[in-house]
Parts: sequence; structure tokens; C-alpha cells
Amino acid sequence: MTDVSTPNSAVEKEVVLEARGVCVSYGVGTKAVSDFNLRIHRGEIVGLLGESGCGKTSAALALMGLARHPGRVSGSVLYDNRNLLALSDAELREIRGRSIGLITQKPRQSLNPLLTIGTQISRVFRAHNRASKEEAQTHAIELLEAVGINDASRRLTAYPHELSGGMAQRALISMAMSSRPQLLIADEPTSGLDVTIQAQFLDRMWERAQATGSAVLLVTQDLGIIANYCDRIVVMADGRVIEEQTVREFFLSPKQEYSKRILAVQSADTANNPAARRLDESDALVEVKALSKHFVLPDKRRLQAVQSVDLSIPAGHAVGLVGESGSGKTTVGRLLVRLLEPDAGTVLFAGRDITALDSKAFRPQRARMQIVFQDPFDSLNPRWTVDRIVREPLDLHGPGRGGPASDTTDEEKRRRIAELLDLVGLSPDTRNRKAAALSAGEQQRVCLARALATQPEFLVLDEPTSALPPAARVEMVKLLADLRRRLGISYLFISHDLWTVGQVCDEVAVMYLSQIVEQGTRAQVFEHPAHPYTQALLDSVLLPDPTDRRVDRERKDLAGEIPSPVDLPAGCYLAGRCPLVEDRCRAERQELVTIGDGRSVRCWKVAPATRSAS
Amino acid sequence: MTRFVARRLVIAVVQVAAITIVVFLLIRALPADPVATRVGFNASPDVYRKAKADLGLDRSTLSQLGTYLGGSGTQRGLLAGNLGTSWASGSTVASEIGDALPITLELISLSFLLAGAIAIPLGMRTARRPGKALDKAVFGYGLFAGAAPEFWWGLMLVFVFYFKLGWAPAPLGRLSPQLQAPTQRTGAILIDSLLAGRLDAFWDGLRHLILPVITLAFILSGPIMKMVRQSMTRVLGSDFVLYAQAAGLPPRQVSRSTLRAAFGPVLTLTSILYGFMLGGAVLVESVFSLGGLGQYSVKSVLEFNYPSIQGVVLVITVLSLVIYLVLDVLLALLDPRARHR
Amino acid sequence: MTATAPTVGHPKRPRRLIAAARRDPLLTIGLCIVALSIFLALFGTLIAPKSPTEPTGAPSEHPSLSHWMGTDASGLDVFSQVISAPRTDVVLAVSAALVSSVLGTLIGLTAGYFRTWWAEVVMRISDVLQAFPVFILGMMLVALSGRNTGNLIVALSLLYTPIFIRLTRAEVLTQRNRSYVESARAMGNSEWKIAFRHVLPNSLAPSLIQLSVTVGFGILLTAGLSYVGAGVRPPTPEWGLMISSSANQLILGEWWPSVFPGLAISLTVFGFAAVGNAIERRVGG
Repeated sequence: MTDVSTPNSAVEKEVVLEARGVCVSYGVGTKAVSDFNLRIHRGEIVGLLGESGCGKTSAALALMGLARHPGRVSGSVLYDNRNLLALSDAELREIRGRSIGLITQKPRQSLNPLLTIGTQISRVFRAHNRASKEEAQTHAIELLEAVGINDASRRLTAYPHELSGGMAQRALISMAMSSRPQLLIADEPTSGLDVTIQAQFLDRMWERAQATGSAVLLVTQDLGIIANYCDRIVVMADGRVIEEQTVREFFLSPKQEYSKRILAVQSADTANNPAARRLDESDALVEVKALSKHFVLPDKRRLQAVQSVDLSIPAGHAVGLVGESGSGKTTVGRLLVRLLEPDAGTVLFAGRDITALDSKAFRPQRARMQIVFQDPFDSLNPRWTVDRIVREPLDLHGPGRGGPASDTTDEEKRRRIAELLDLVGLSPDTRNRKAAALSAGEQQRVCLARALATQPEFLVLDEPTSALPPAARVEMVKLLADLRRRLGISYLFISHDLWTVGQVCDEVAVMYLSQIVEQGTRAQVFEHPAHPYTQALLDSVLLPDPTDRRVDRERKDLAGEIPSPVDLPAGCYLAGRCPLVEDRCRAERQELVTIGDGRSVRCWKVAPATRSAS
Repeated sequence: MTRFVARRLVIAVVQVAAITIVVFLLIRALPADPVATRVGFNASPDVYRKAKADLGLDRSTLSQLGTYLGGSGTQRGLLAGNLGTSWASGSTVASEIGDALPITLELISLSFLLAGAIAIPLGMRTARRPGKALDKAVFGYGLFAGAAPEFWWGLMLVFVFYFKLGWAPAPLGRLSPQLQAPTQRTGAILIDSLLAGRLDAFWDGLRHLILPVITLAFILSGPIMKMVRQSMTRVLGSDFVLYAQAAGLPPRQVSRSTLRAAFGPVLTLTSILYGFMLGGAVLVESVFSLGGLGQYSVKSVLEFNYPSIQGVVLVITVLSLVIYLVLDVLLALLDPRARHR
Repeated sequence: MTATAPTVGHPKRPRRLIAAARRDPLLTIGLCIVALSIFLALFGTLIAPKSPTEPTGAPSEHPSLSHWMGTDASGLDVFSQVISAPRTDVVLAVSAALVSSVLGTLIGLTAGYFRTWWAEVVMRISDVLQAFPVFILGMMLVALSGRNTGNLIVALSLLYTPIFIRLTRAEVLTQRNRSYVESARAMGNSEWKIAFRHVLPNSLAPSLIQLSVTVGFGILLTAGLSYVGAGVRPPTPEWGLMISSSANQLILGEWWPSVFPGLAISLTVFGFAAVGNAIERRVGG
């Protein structure tokens, strides 16, 4: 077997699986995957990178001879000197689940909703191993414990809908690894998970693969994951492989234009913001004091989303609000522009308490503060053209900071719309299109243009880049940083993605379970995190840098899952997961305290409670 | 589970009460004149007034409702289980419905069995092979069957199989006139004739049921087939079926899981259709003169026979609600996610 | 996605419709049938070659050149009756479908968007109606209030409104949680404006599909009520009534007075269902 295409580092290794000219098609006409070639060697972790819709999932499934109903796979996949695509169903079944395991993108949907986890795990085990039902159950407990599930025997009786996403993903990996497969195919296994859970999970998967000697095909969109866990990378676009490299070489010198572009944007550093300075409270544009909000769930339980949050956003500044799902950061954003009414606390906007205004009196004020949401397509009325969408705020408020709406002529509005589209970098011909005809990045620009139409002084950006593909994400970050400089506008930038926050903001507040746990300048929080949660969060960030891999270094892991905001712990909210936990942490509520360098931290070990910060 | 059922029962009772009262008031609010229908439009005012008093219509609507629900004197009311007396025949509404209901139940149950036997395998096959000739044929049939008025189909079948071919009996009832009916026990002719050991009556009854059952099944299989196909397509394309295959589970296990997951929506649709057919089989009953619940309700409505209308509506509502309740329990047994609602 | 995205502008609409019809034969057939039935509903009585209400031939004549579809037992011309009937059947079904869809959509929108006592009341009533035997309710309403077209329209509209309430409300409940609604609120729109300008147009698809199907239901129910004697009164030309009055002749072998109106019903309902199906395929995916 001559070897030309594979990188030299893997030459001597044995090939586990080889795909030649694999095509996948759904129905007539378009092919999701065409002429896909891939070699995977023993014990190797291969990253399959590509944007959504490029066919990487179809390609990965095709390696097991699988396609989602009613798809068809052709070509050849060689495993153990046999062509999987030519095997009978019975022979294929022998290989699937035993020799090749699969972890999917949506763990909860991949589990049978009508059966308990225990039944499902033992079924998979019994399909490939001789075992009685009891033996299989015992084995299932061992498997769950191996992926870090503590009360495994109790979890066996749970149904998939009773598990969190992270838990379901771990159940899935224990199924996939139950017969010690030679190859594990992991299709975006962490796409729905929070950063700390993602890191936890990938570590587990990496460890299991090392322990069982399995090769892994890791399908992902995330260069950080590739850099941290993979040995080799395969890049796909439009159903074809366009580049194949070792990870280190790829990050040093990508060959293809596309690869260069995504690498360039990911490593781009736009952080050329004015140096952060602490400001007096007097020049704060938005001043939030003791803000609290709870929701009542359908089953009457009370969910505390936000708990006495204080926040101050100086005019022209960008404050980042960072946290994982359930932290309450999105609720804070909505409270600030009064899309939700707080239970307690005040929101001062330019010195005026907006929570005290009645809703009709408040409406004109909306011209001065706007919000951009996470999902750009969802944020645009699908039946309206871009022109009509951007015109709406002008119809309601006029061009802002100016006269009343009635004074604006149609001609002026048209000019203003053109100006706005230009400002956010959209070409004039997008004007007559509808949202569905635009890319995600363009859609988010339309949202931004609409938000800026009335020249607001303050913008809440609620995960504005999370729904965008990597390239568009970086461009959006650049645009946001640029707009702030040019317009002197203030941001509250909400994100779970620390890299983005670092690019745009000069101050950062970290939220965990409804509270702010640390708040300070970007340099303080990112370079010298004080709170254990901030430290773990920063540690979980997977940087696109293969020379500083997470798996190679000492880690500051958080244990377990994020508790539910419905029943909050008694003491410090992090006590259940914190590596530094002591008895005092479990007993005592923590206060947000200002420490020496001017930042605030909610942890008695770091900031001994002398007196509460304001 | 017990709490779940109890809650549903309470809601059902409230619904029955609401419908009973609404129907009672509605009937009396509409401008029909049941008195004139009984005594004729040329009756003298005295006769008219007496007839009106006999029917109890001279009193206020609320007082009538009170009597209907609570009874008066020795007469028991609805709350004591009395559906009242038919204005047309003088016999009790309960006994008349008791005669009509089994006929309808027998007819529609057989029709659903036949429809299911046709629709479920076909629907499953078309879901597995979308876009094939059979799939297209079934799609066309679905549109077509839904478009045809069932009474007309019934008549066409009668024309072909009775008049032209002479294979089917005349559409004039449940048994040939020369045959003596078996002793009535359940009211369903097939069961009664078997219980009485009357094979001749059984075959004759079956022959009389074949055309009406085919007519109804023809109408019913369209929507059932569509739902089977839709539900199967969804499950076949779902992540967990894909994963089951990826895990190399035996095909028997995979297809059993698939069927179980696809079954819920089909069951729901079937139950709703069954409830609908209790009154909706009326047209087929009329074509073949079977005399079921539907025909009884037509007769009652056309005769302005208020107690009978009220009784039929009540019985059908209660039966529908019982079916929905059983459905909910079955769904909860089938799917753990449904247990927590 | 980009390529098929519809361009805006009214002048292109009819051309687009024609293009769509060419690609979709089922839609073409459906549209032709719908157009024909509406044409007959408007002009059927005018173009009928004979009187549809008075005997114009001997009783029970076979189809012939003078009576294309024969005559019925009373000597009425079947063809003239068949093409005059849409004046009753189609007009009734279309009006009821329009009334119930407009009413149901508005009620469904308000009940779905505004979470107030109103929503509670609507849903409770809707629940009660769901457990109601539909055919019997329709029959009762018509028979007890007088068997004429007006009452039939009212009864049918009442029966079909809950379907539209349910469909619209369900759609509104998903639409109201979408970010564009929140954006509209953040923009400073009033709640009524959001409900009618943003949510309503985006919640119409299910009702639009149902509208066409409901016309079919309406025709079937009108005919069914006539068949059992609870619909319009003779001698109004009406398909169900024609079948009903000729049912006894059918057993004796006179097939033409009942076959043709039945075919007319099937064809018309099929046409409306086909259009509904085409809309569903377009809007739904």
C-alpha cells in the first residue's frame, strides 16, 4: 500500500478505515457528499472540519454505511479488508456498534424516548456481547461510572427526557464505547453544551479513546477543538474534502484559500480598544442597582433568574457579561431594555429610572436603547424585505436624536436606510431581499442596522455572534468593535464565548447562577482571574493553538453539572463543583466584595468579606 | 397516574355538564315549534295550549332545565340517571338509544378494523419507500377518498353489487325480512346471533354489513393511511432510529421501537375519528337503513323531539370523552414523556 | 435557498402563479376545478339549457342529446340541476369557510397573543365544542332554525370556526416566542401593532391551507344534510338533494340522476383539496 496523500507522521501506522470515492445523496439530483476520501489510522484522532451544511455529518455517517432516511451511500469504505458498503445488513450490524461506535450531535434525540437509559445501554451491549440481562445491567453501571456519572445505578432507570444534555451525551458515549470499538465517530458531540461541560466531556472522550486505543473521527466546526484534541485535520466544503494535514502543520501553514481564511479570522486580534479606565459612577449611561427577577415555571416552581445584580455601563464603553446557560445573563439584557419587568431594583438610563415609567410613556425612550438577539433569522420578520425592516424604527421614531417621526420625509428615510446598510457593510441590493435570501452574517447585519436606525446611545448585544459560522463571527466582532469607535455607542455584550468578549469589551462581568461572581477590567478578569469559576471558565476555553493543548496541561476542572436555578444551593452556588471547596463555602452565602485592584469578587477565599461592594 | 386520570375525569364531567346545559338552552332558543309539529298548524288555540303544557314548554326555560336535571314528583331527572321520555313514541329515550347504539358501535368498529387492516400496512410501506408508484397511488387515493360523499359511495356500491351483480342483499336493514332476528342481548347482530347459536342469522347479518362497512372503511382509510405514513416517516428519519442502526441493534428491536414510537399519533387520530363516527356514520346508516344512533338522531331532530336530541347528544359526548380518556391513558403508558403533563 | 427566494412586487404575481401551476399538475387540475365551480356558482343558473326546477321532459329518461344527463323521476333535467347546484353548494361552502376563517383567525390571534381572561374563555369554549358531535350539532342548528341557505351558512360557520381558532392560536403561540416579535417590542411598537402587523401575517399559513379543505368539508356537509332531509328544501337545485331524491330509483337501475351529482361533489371537493394540498406543500416545506 503506497502512501502519498497521508502526512508522513502517520505513514508507519496501520490503517483502520479507508473511504474511497464515497458519495451520499438524498433523493434525486443534489449530492450531499461527493467523492469523499479519508484514511484513519490506529489510535489517531482525526478532526473533520467544515461549516454547517457542508456534508460532514453525512460523510461521517457514510463511514458506517449509514444515511439518514431516505439517503443512499455509494463508493467504498474499507474496514478490516472488507468493503462495508458491499456487506449484507447482518454483517454490517456486526461492525456497527462493536467495531465502529458513534456519538451524535443531539444526544437526547439519539436516545429512544420510550426506553430507560439502562435498557438502551444493555441492549447495545447485548447486541455485540454474550451476556444475560443482569450482566448487561451491571456492565451498564460500570460504563456509566467510567464516563463520570456518580449515581449510575439510579440513572439507569431514567428516561432520556429526564437527563440534561451533558448527561445524555455521556450516556451516549458509554454506549458507543461499550464494546471497545476500534473507531469512534463523534459528530459535533459538544455543539449543544456549555463551555465547562464541553471541556469536561471532550476530556472524558479523549481519555476513553487513549484507554481503549480507539481511533476517533471528531466532526466539528470549532478550530479550538481541533487544535486541542486532534492529530490530523480534514477540511470539507460543499461535500468535498479540500484539505488534509497534520494539525500542527495546518495551523502553521494552511494550503487552501478557504482554510487560510478561516484561520486568519479566528486568530485575528481586533483588541485595539482604548485602554480601560475605571470611571466614576457619575458618568455612567446605564446604572443598574439590586436588580432581581424570577420566573414561575408551569409546574409552579420558582426559578430565580437574576439576583441583586449591580452593573454600571459608562457612556461609550462596552461591558461584557459572561456566563453559561442558566446564569441569567440573557435575562439581565432583557431587563435593561425593559423587555421584562424586574421584581426589584432600578435601571437608571441617563439618570432616569426607566422601570418607573408606564409602558406608553416609556415607548419613545426605546429609540435611545436597542437590542440585538442571538438568532438573526428568527429576529427578522420573514415576510418583510430588508428595506421595510430597517424602515420600521424610522416610521416609529424618526431618525432619532432629531425631530419627531412625522417630520421625516420618505426621501429622508430612504437616504437613511441606504446610510445604515452601508454602515453595517451590506450592499445596497440587499434592500429588496427577505431574510431567507441572506446569509446568517448578513441577517445579523440587518438586525444591527435596524437597531442603529434611531441612533441609540446604548445597545444590548445578546450573543450576537453565537449563531454565526466562524468566518462571519469574526467579521461581526470586527464590525461591532469598529461601530463602537465610530459612533461612541455603549454596549452590554452578552456572550458565553470569552474570546469574542475579549475582542469587544473593556470591562467584564462574570455571571454564575443568577449572580455576578466577578467583575473588573478585561485585563483583570482575563489575565488574572480571581474567582474559581472564572478560572475554570477561562481554562475551558479551547484556543485554536495546537502548541498549548488543554490535554497537555494541568487543569482546573469544575466537577459535575450546573445546578438548576430552581433549587439553588444553600451556601456558595459554586460549592458543589468548586475544587477549593471547604465546609464554610457550603454554609455561607457569598457577597460581592471589592478587592485591592478595584474589581469585585464573590468568594470569601479571594476577597475576605470586609464590607460589601456597592 | 391515578391523579392524572382523576383530573381528566373531573374535566370530562364539567364538559358533559356544559354541553348538556348548552344544548338544552340552544334547542329552546332556536325558532322551531315542536308543539305545532305535534298538533298540526291548524289546531285550535286550546288544543295547542294543552299540548304545550303536556310537553312542559309552557314553563320558563330555567324551570324546564330544573325538571330535566332534577326531575319532578315521582319522575326522576337526568341527575338520577333518567334521560327522559321520547315525545314521538312515548317510550324512554334510554331504551331507544339502547337499541340504536349497539348497531352503530358494531358498524363502526368493524369499519375501523377493516380500515386499519388496509391503511396501516400500506401507510408503513409507503413511508419506507417514498416517491415510489405505490406511494403516489396512495397519495391520490387519500385526496380522492376524502373528496367523495360517503352516502354516494354507498349508493354506488348498492347499484353495482345489489342491482347489477346481485351479490349483496337489498340495503333495507340488518337482516333479510324472512329471517327472524336472534334474541337481543348485546344489540349487535353478529354477537347476538352467535350467542343464540343462529349461524343463518350470523351470515345474513354479515352479508348486510359488508357494503356499509366497506363504504365507511373506504372513507376512513384515507386519513389513517396518511397519518401512518407521516408518523412513520418522522420516526424513520429521527435521530434515535439512526442511532439504533449505528449501534448495530438487531433489526427486530429497531423496527419494534420504530412502530412503538410511530403508534401514538395514529392512535390519537383513530380515537378522534371513532368519536366523530358515533354521530358521523349517520349517512351510511341511512343509505342501508340500519337504524343506528345517527339515524335515531336525524329522526329526533326532524321531529323536534327534544328529549331524544338531548339524550343522543349526551350519550355521544360521554362516549367520546371516555374514548379520549382511554386514549390519554394509553398514550401515557406508551410514552413516558406523556406521563408528566 | 437563495435562488428560489421569491422576489417581491405585485405585477409578477399572476405570472408566478402560472409558472407554479405548470410545475405542479395537481395544482393545475385543482385550480381549474375551483375556477369552474366558482364560475358555475355565479352563472350556472344562467347557462343551464333547461329549467332546473320545473319538469322539462318525461320522467326517468336516459341520458340523450336533449337531456345530456337524463331526467329524474319527476322529469327534471339532471344536467341543468347539476350545473345550477353550485349556486347553493359552492356559495354556501365558500361563504361558511370565509366567515369561519376570518372569525377563527381573529379570535385565535387574540387568544394566542394576549394572555388574558379572554384566552381562557376561548379555550374552554373550544374544548367543549371539541367533544360535541359535529354532524348532529349542524343538523340540529339547521333543522331547528329553519332549513334555508342563510341558516346553513351560520351553522357551518359556527362548526368550522373552532378549527381556525385552534390552528391560528397554535401558530401564534410559536410565533409570539420568536425574536422578531421581541425585536418589534424593543423597537417601540404597541402590543396591538405587534399582534396585527407582525404576528398575524406570519400565522396565516395553517388557516390558508385549512381554508381550501374547509370548503370541501362544507360541500360534503351541505350535501349530507340534504341527504338526510335536514338541509335546503326542494326544489332548490342541490347535489345532495338530487342524490337523496333519486336513491330509490338507483336500486331499480336508474343510475343517472344520482351518479352525476355525486361525481360533481367528488370532483369539486377534490379540486379544493388539491389546491389546499398544493398550498400546504408550498408553505410547509
